[in-house]
This record gives sequence, C-alpha cells and structure tokens, in this order.
Amino acid sequence: MWRAIQSLVVGIVLRVVHAALIELRALDSRVAQEFERFPEGLSYTIRTGHNGPVLHVLWQDGQLKRLAALPAPVCSLRIKSMPLSFQLFTGQMGMAQAYARHAFTMAGEVADVMRLARLVNLVEAYLFPKIMTRRIMTDVPETEVCFLRAYARIALGFLTCKYKLSK
Amino acid sequence: MNVPYFEFQNAVKLLCGELSLERIAIELEHLGASRPLVLSDAVLAKIGTMAQVTDAMQAEGVSPAACFTDIPVDSSLAVVNKIAAYYREQNCDSIVAVGGGSVIDTAKGVRLVLSQDTDDILAISGVENLVRGKHIPFIVVPTTAGTGSECTGVAVIRNDANDVKMEFLSPFVEPDVAVIDPRMTLGLPAKATASTGMDALVHAIEACTCQQANPLSTAYGTAAIRMIAANVEEATRNGSNKQARFEMALASTMAGIAFSNSMVGAVHAIGHALGGVCHVPHAVAMTILLPHVMRYNLSHCADSYAALLPWLAGMDVALNTPTEKRAEAAIAFIEALGKRLNEVCELPLTLKDAGVDSAAFAKVAEFAVNDGALIVNPRAASEEQVMEILNAAY
Repeated sequence: MWRAIQSLVVGIVLRVVHAALIELRALDSRVAQEFERFPEGLSYTIRTGHNGPVLHVLWQDGQLKRLAALPAPVCSLRIKSMPLSFQLFTGQMGMAQAYARHAFTMAGEVADVMRLARLVNLVEAYLFPKIMTRRIMTDVPETEVCFLRAYARIALGFLTCKYKLSK
Repeated sequence: MNVPYFEFQNAVKLLCGELSLERIAIELEHLGASRPLVLSDAVLAKIGTMAQVTDAMQAEGVSPAACFTDIPVDSSLAVVNKIAAYYREQNCDSIVAVGGGSVIDTAKGVRLVLSQDTDDILAISGVENLVRGKHIPFIVVPTTAGTGSECTGVAVIRNDANDVKMEFLSPFVEPDVAVIDPRMTLGLPAKATASTGMDALVHAIEACTCQQANPLSTAYGTAAIRMIAANVEEATRNGSNKQARFEMALASTMAGIAFSNSMVGAVHAIGHALGGVCHVPHAVAMTILLPHVMRYNLSHCADSYAALLPWLAGMDVALNTPTEKRAEAAIAFIEALGKRLNEVCELPLTLKDAGVDSAAFAKVAEFAVNDGALIVNPRAASEEQVMEILNAAY
C-alpha cells in the first residue's frame, strides 16, 4: 500500500517537474540559459524503481516535449528503488545526495546528468520551501521571481492541458 | 561523520613490494590467461620500463601475445576503440597495462569495450549502468605514484570530438591485479614525481572532504595524506630513495581506493576541463588548483579541512594550532609544500606558469560545471565561480 502511494506521488511529481521546467524557462534566466545550450534532440528517460512511473522528455524545436516512450534516450536515469525515488522527488534528497548515495544508474554522458541536476536544483528552489532545500543542497539557488508565480503558471498550465503528451 | 548510506568496493588484488613484477606470470595463469596484450606508451617502451615488465613475465613463462605502445599522454576514445580491435586481431586473452594514468585508463576502456562486446566505448558510457559482461583478465603496473587508477572504478578518457574528458564509472573497470613494485617509479623525473605526488594528495583530500566521503574512504584517504606529506619531498629530492618511492606508490594506491569510493570534487572537475581544453597535464592542474579550490570551499567544509591538519603536518603542529585556525593552517601547509617542490624541480604553481591562455577560461568553466566530479564538491560552483577560481590560480 505504502509503495503504491509512493509510486502515485512520484508519478505526480515527475509531471510537475516537467511542467516546472517549461514554466521556469520563461521566469528564470538560468533555466532559460540551460535550455539555450541544450543540443537539439537531447532526451532523458527517468525510471523510478521497479515498474514505477517513467518520464520521457525530448528537447526538440525549442520545446521540452513529454513523450509516451523513447526508444533510445540520449540519457537514461534509473532510480534504484521506489523509496529512493520518493525521497528524491519529495524534497528529502537532492540530486547531489542521490549521486553520493548511489541512488541511480545512468546510461549516457555525465555532462547531460549535470545539466539535469542544475535544472532540478532550480526547480526545487521554487517548488520547495527553503527549510527543506537547505537540507538537501549545499547552496540553494536564489529564486529570481516569487515562487507563487511559478506555482500559478504551473497550475494554469495543468488546467489548460498544456503539458499533454506529444506525438 | 553522519553518512546515511554509502557503498565501498575494492576488489583489486594488490601485489606490493620487492620482486612483484616476477609474480605477474603466475597471476595471469591463475586468471586463466596466456596471451596478454601489453599496453604502454612510447616513452616507457624507449627507456626500458615496459621491457622490465615483459622480461619478468617471460622469465616466468608468459610471453606477450602483442604489445601496443602508441598511447598518447591524453588518450582518447578513438585510441581505446583502436586497441580493442587490435586485441581481437591478435587473438589476445588478457591485458597487462604498464604506465601512468593515461595508459591505465585507456586499458580500462579497452577492457570495458571487450567485456561488453561492443566496438565503440561511447555506446556504453554512463554511471553504474553496465552488467558484468565477459571477464577479461586485467593486470596493471603503475609507473607513477599519483593516479591511483590501479584501484579505481573509473576511467577518464578524452573525447576528441568535443575536447571533453569523459568519465566511465563502473565497478567492472577495476583491474583484477595491481602490481606496486618500487622499481617502476625509481626512474621517474623529479618534476613528474612532485606533480603526481600532489595528484595523489588531491585524490586523498577531495575523497575525505567531498559530499560522498564515508568512514572507510576517509580511513584510506587520511592514511594516504600522512604518507604523502611525509615522503613527497624526499622522493622528489632523492629519487633513488626506494623507501620513499614505495611509500608514495602505496599512498597513491590508497588515495585511489579512497576516491574511488567517495569521488573527488572541484579540483578534478576544473582540472579535467583544463586538460580537455588547454591540454594541461592532469597532475600539474591538480597541483595548481588545490589550494585555490580549498579556499573556495573553506566556508562550507572548514571542519573537514581542519581534521586533515594532523595528517598533513603532524599531531604536534595540529595540537599547537587553535581549533578555529586548523583549516587555514592545512591550506597554508599545502601552499608551502607546493613552494618547496617548486624550488626543487620548478613545479608550476600558477596556470600562467603552466602555459595556459586565460582567454580559454570561459570554455574551461563551461566544461567544468558539466564534469561529474563537481556534483559532490562540498560547495556548489557556477561558471562564474569557476572563473573566479581560475583567475585566482592564474
């Protein structure tokens, strides 16, 4: 039962992370700069535990598209268990901590994980309160706009089905 | 040390001390191998170091099936793929690597390509993503005391397509056997002795202070720091001192075991980028960057640095230094050590002295923040902050 709840939460947070990346690109210059440097066709698959939720995203035509499947992602991350995934996606463990604790495996280039880690740190700085982020990051990035603007844009995006699967 | 979780692996059999080379043949036999491909570089082939190893093997009944000595200082993915093809052509059944970091990391790459049954190492890049694959018997004989690569689960290999030094992390890159024979480093020039010794010191210090540090890696790391601090000057000044050479070789191996299990940090991230973009030799980059990165990190890990002082300078010095000044004293010790080594062998202490053009700093910083070593550094670093470190080190 607890694992099913964890899996549900992780699935929701993965969707929110994708949405936050899209919205923060418009709100935060550092996120925008990271995306400017994304090579066309860069793609990530994030798997969580055994048969857990999966996120496939592809950078194409200036958009971060969420896909139903990616046959050969450029960078494939696999979080080793559902409890670890839950910790990572609920602000209990940062990306650096996840790396240090061998929480995930990765196929692809380390540089692409570093890009993702910087973006996830920025997303977490907006989505989680500082009392949480201070525990999971050595240096919490300052937010460039109020976190409520990010939340509002993400909520509006979900209401208008902005983040639906791309074909 | 509050560590919620850690992993530790060192599956390498170590042959340490006198007449170790003469035991390689029987180790190959025990590993079921009889046709080793010997890998080395042109300099070691020319000065006879490689022959010392192959002669010892032959005397005990195992002849190399083939030798490959065309491994450059900064080896590349293309070289790895080429050697893997050569191994198959020559019908070899094992690898013996004789050399420094470049040769050993190249050999690790070759072993990965062969064991994963592929033709291109780029196709299998990643972190802990590989299954064991086919076992290729693999013995390394380090000829420097610095890289520690003989005991690490990582290979760093240059990608010529984009000037990036790539990291391949897998427990399956660890050799079966490492041979620490003091004869192998006796002929190492003073400057190389000093810089590789400082490289080992960086491994140990970063292993003890990065976010992935754990009690076991710190035990290896601090022991290595003590041996390096006690021997690096003597090994540099008096290269024929066998005991100092042997202790440096052991310390390098222990530092390798330490950082293989706790990663490194910003010194390596920036150093890899300097190597990739500006072709600064790895050990020289480590020597130059260490004190500057420590100063950058100081606000985030003063306690960790303070805890290193007894290992660096001795217990008496540490006890006579006020607690709040020990971290600064540890950095000062390293700076003073660098200066003394510079006086002995003109070891470069600035990026300018190492021939780096500051115009390349922006590209170096861009590459450094994408290096995996940065993720566990005690303090996060942006491109702008890396630029500050580079400017301070210039």
